[in-house]
Amino acid sequence: MKQKVIVIGGGIIGTSIAYYLSKNEVDVTLFESKDIAAGSSGSCDRAIMIQSKKPGPTLDLALKSAEMYKTLELELEEDLEYRKGGGMILIENEFELEVIQEMVERQNQAGLDVSIISGEDAREKVPLLSKSIIASTWWSEDAEINPMGTAFAFARAAQKRNAKMELNYIVQGFLIENGRVVGVKANNENFYADGVVVCTGVWTKSLLQSINIDVPIVPRKGEILVTERLPKVIDCNILSGSYIASKLQKGNDNPYGIGLAIGQTKSGTLLIGGSREFVGFDSSTNSTVIREIAKRAVQAFPFLKNVNLIRTFSGLRPFTPDNLPILGEIPSVEGLFIAAGHEGDGIALAPITGKLMAEIICGQNTDFDMEPFSIQRFANMKI
Amino acid sequence: MSDIIICRCEGVRLHEILASIEDGANSVQGIKKRCRVGMGYCQGRTCQPVIREVLINKLGSNPIDRTSKIQSPIRPVLLRDL
Ligand SMILES: Cc1cc2nc3c(=O)[nH]c(=O)nc-3n(C[C@H](O)[C@H](O)[C@H](O)COP(=O)(O)OP(=O)(O)OC[C@H]3O[C@@H](n4cnc5c(N)ncnc54)[C@H](O)[C@@H]3O)c2cc1C
Repeated sequence: MKQKVIVIGGGIIGTSIAYYLSKNEVDVTLFESKDIAAGSSGSCDRAIMIQSKKPGPTLDLALKSAEMYKTLELELEEDLEYRKGGGMILIENEFELEVIQEMVERQNQAGLDVSIISGEDAREKVPLLSKSIIASTWWSEDAEINPMGTAFAFARAAQKRNAKMELNYIVQGFLIENGRVVGVKANNENFYADGVVVCTGVWTKSLLQSINIDVPIVPRKGEILVTERLPKVIDCNILSGSYIASKLQKGNDNPYGIGLAIGQTKSGTLLIGGSREFVGFDSSTNSTVIREIAKRAVQAFPFLKNVNLIRTFSGLRPFTPDNLPILGEIPSVEGLFIAAGHEGDGIALAPITGKLMAEIICGQNTDFDMEPFSIQRFANMKI
Repeated sequence: MSDIIICRCEGVRLHEILASIEDGANSVQGIKKRCRVGMGYCQGRTCQPVIREVLINKLGSNPIDRTSKIQSPIRPVLLRDL
């Protein structure tokens, strides 16, 4: 008989896992309380940006994931708006230059050939960039993707392999017998399976609390501005170095964690982010934050003054205290797995997360050291 | 009939909205995410009532639950005027 697995959560992580499980001939049912991409995966940016990741386990994971993205459209047979247009981090002053230079050196040591280019060279790549930008980083391997489109595509591809997508099903708790999970309770009905994987992003903490498992994931809000459609003006991922520098600068308080991130969607709108705020599950947008992001965007791209803002939105990043996702089996309950807490990297990390989790759930060997991602690392932590 | 344009900003036709509901969309948000309806310049000001009606027709239930929440700005605004 086929192994039966329940996936909880229909974001980009849950749908990716459902897809790779279905590829492994597993009988998959995914329960989603609302709709595919109704959570963080439907209110975020589109960057597969690698050059900004700290060397270590996340960078290793991200590199593998970026490799998988290159062929994902072919594999899923859908247009995911994938583009490898490269990426830059803008540098506005000497202090930022110093901080970014150190960062680039670390990336070079880790094997990424990120470079620093002059302001002129940066303007050659992105002509509308302000004259006030003195330099920028450049890495040609950074890419982008439509995150919602990718979650839907994973879900459809899984369905083609007979996975079931149960939308409007709220998982209320777990069925546990003799220390082993045997299913879940959803919409007041019991559903049975050999394994259960929890992919509920920022909602993971409250769901697992029902069986006394403490997961230190909290929401970290990000606000984003959407402009009217424009012809192609930005062809790569752009971050500002000021956020990275501000973390190292004493007395430079940035209460909303604002750092510019700009990209252009296939339809032509610009997505201008963003902020990093710990305000619980409050997903409203704040006019002070929006105004501040707009100000920085106009600073970096003066032409934006005359561009219309048509919408703002916010999303919640599933933050963990050490900025690493939690991936693997939960040791205290046999058959129960978790894949959550990808914070601001969940889009970039989705394919590799799906592939590795499918291998782990099927009892196969993974060619990746999963130790750093184990939930056990929080065992001695006071949450 | 299924070819009539519902959302002029994004050029979305009725049959795309019906296909989104067929695919599992159960809210204005869900339809938006599947076919970009209401995501353009006017932000669904004109088409949202129509989409809501199609939804209620297909799925029944409370129209309030099915609305998309209004996100600022109320009207397009130049970034310099913020
Ligand atoms: C503003 C912003 C910008 C971002 N930009 C980027 C970026 O450029 N690049 C990048 O890589 N990442 C980015 N991220 C991060 C990325 O969005 C997240 O890491 C990712 O979406 C997390 O996916 P997920 O599937 O874990 O969570 P979600 O997408 O939130 O999915 C969880 C799902 O579980 C469902 N659920 C919850 N509870 C239950 C229950 N009890 N029963 C059933 N279903 C349930 C929810 O409805 C939800 O659909 C950004 C995030 C934000 C907020």
